[in-house]
Amino acid sequence: MPEQRVVITIDEEGSITAKTSGFKGESCLAALDDLLDLDGIITNLKKTDEYHQRQTVQLARRQEIKRT
Amino acid sequence: MSAVIKTNTPFIIESVLVEALQAVGAEPVKVTENILQDQRHSGGLLVGDILTNRSDYYGLQHFRLINNRWVLRHDSSEMSGRVKSAKSAVSKGYSRVGAFLELVGQAYESAYQQYLGMLAEQERIRLEEERKARVEATRQQAIAKAKAQGYSVKETRNSKNQIQLVLTRTV
Repeated sequence: MPEQRVVITIDEEGSITAKTSGFKGESCLAALDDLLDLDGIITNLKKTDEYHQRQTVQLARRQEIKRT
Repeated sequence: MSAVIKTNTPFIIESVLVEALQAVGAEPVKVTENILQDQRHSGGLLVGDILTNRSDYYGLQHFRLINNRWVLRHDSSEMSGRVKSAKSAVSKGYSRVGAFLELVGQAYESAYQQYLGMLAEQERIRLEEERKARVEATRQQAIAKAKAQGYSVKETRNSKNQIQLVLTRTV
């Protein structure tokens, strides 16, 4: 079974850095939002290669489904 | 006719004034109900006044809070002015009120600087407590939400000694 993993780092001031792995596309952001209530508090968002790869795969799959 | 006057330092903060009076050897004592019964003063004393070891015709010279300032109440002519030390058998000589207030003013300035330093330290401690509470609240909230959403939580510290929560779940 695929594993979803979130590593949360809380710095000395209470700021959070979170890194996800094992999520599909934007579900990682949704998962982080569920965990940390991110609305209006994100100062920096860096999407990983995995994020883009998953998005590309998903897009390709959707296009294939449409063609068939 | 012209005149030049100089007023003494405004004594605003009681604890600073008491410290200043101690520094100049004026042996301050705050007037309580008990002291009020024992101490005689022709001009009248009130609970809360701060007695000094200086006395004059009316009795012990003392400070009273008037319009948010501590004011020295004394005989204007300083008749029978003397110092009655409760702690030392060797009594220091009596100085005129103006000179005494100037001395207290200098001690007050010094005590006030210490007071500001103490306030700054208290503020630093308060902010530090707030910071710790904020980190702890963030940590607890993250752990509680993670568990509620089916993650297993492992807590560690990274190389910078920051809290690190590793959340995992299988889907």
